[in-house]
Amino acid sequence: MTYAFDRIKVLIVEDNAPMLEICRSLLMAFGVKDVFGTHSGMDGFQVFCKEKPDLVIADWMMEPTSGIFLTEQIRHNTLSPNKFAPIILMTGFSEKKRVIEARDAGVTEFLVKPFSARDLYKRVAQIIERPRQFVRTEEFFGPDRRRKVDQNFSGFLKREDDDIQKRLEQRLRMKEASLSLDKMRDQAGLEKGDKIDDSKIDTDPYEIDFR
Amino acid sequence: MSTHDHFQMSPRRKAEYFSPPNQIKQKVGSGGLTEDILSKAQALIENNSVDFRPIAEIYLESMQQGINLANQLKPDQGHEEVIEKILVPGMQLKANGGMFHYDLITRIADKFIQFMEVVEKLDADALEIIVAFHTTIRAILMAEIKGDGGKRGEELMQALVDACYRYFHKSEDARKII
Repeated sequence: MTYAFDRIKVLIVEDNAPMLEICRSLLMAFGVKDVFGTHSGMDGFQVFCKEKPDLVIADWMMEPTSGIFLTEQIRHNTLSPNKFAPIILMTGFSEKKRVIEARDAGVTEFLVKPFSARDLYKRVAQIIERPRQFVRTEEFFGPDRRRKVDQNFSGFLKREDDDIQKRLEQRLRMKEASLSLDKMRDQAGLEKGDKIDDSKIDTDPYEIDFR
Repeated sequence: MSTHDHFQMSPRRKAEYFSPPNQIKQKVGSGGLTEDILSKAQALIENNSVDFRPIAEIYLESMQQGINLANQLKPDQGHEEVIEKILVPGMQLKANGGMFHYDLITRIADKFIQFMEVVEKLDADALEIIVAFHTTIRAILMAEIKGDGGKRGEELMQALVDACYRYFHKSEDARKII
């Protein structure tokens, strides 16, 4: 069974016509049937109010009105039919300060161009499977800017391709390194937490196998 | 924390949290997408026949206008706005090049963005580098060098990166003298 994307409506706002068509064709390949396209933030908001899409994908830098403008309208305008609508912002910028700027405007996900079909799918799947709660403070309304805590995350090897075998190997290496340290302590007559005095240790620190 | 600091603390901000219903999940259900669907979607990107050159020319022209403005700037004038005028079309070239088979343009424009993000003043040295990026990207378009450009692409890229390093070393030296 796959996602029934034919049940949702998506709005794409992109001023570069060929790029808009690529996004449209990707979504249709995913199975989305209702894809609306416009070329500016202001037009995008009008279509958003009329069609009430389930998902918005917008370019950041558009003339005369940007994807950030559209985001602000969706989140704050009293005419907005769904202030919680998920918004994916597309841009060529990947610098941290730009990502923070977009996040602070209330976007849900950030998609750096150029992107692959899988990149786009990952952002959409993230919205479906890991929706963010919303937060309202005096200065901000939008998706919570902190990611939810993942109880299954063990603290290392974050990449997708890190399988269970690699995690086990990593744990084993850490255990071996820890045992080497214990051995050094024993040889030096130290307890855990004691300051290490190099002169008391016979073991060459370079012999410790951290790999 | 001293008593004085304690009484000077700003009030704690109140945050209200909402968990809106996951409407999109309710509609699409579970299961994800198959590898087959993703491969077919990816093929749409890889096989698109859009001619990127007219689009890129618009961005290059926009960048040129920014360069012309920069040439008229006086040292004491605000450079940030003009830097943004040059940077944004560079970002568009980076964003769109790779979508339309010009991966080398994306790589070069990415370096260009990194350079522009740290430049504070558009002096003659900085402008020389910017013009070099502009000229290189235009040359790639005219020669229709698609993909990564092979060995020639690597050389072009390295020459620009070296120029950026020389600029930063020179700026660093200038700061030490000042």
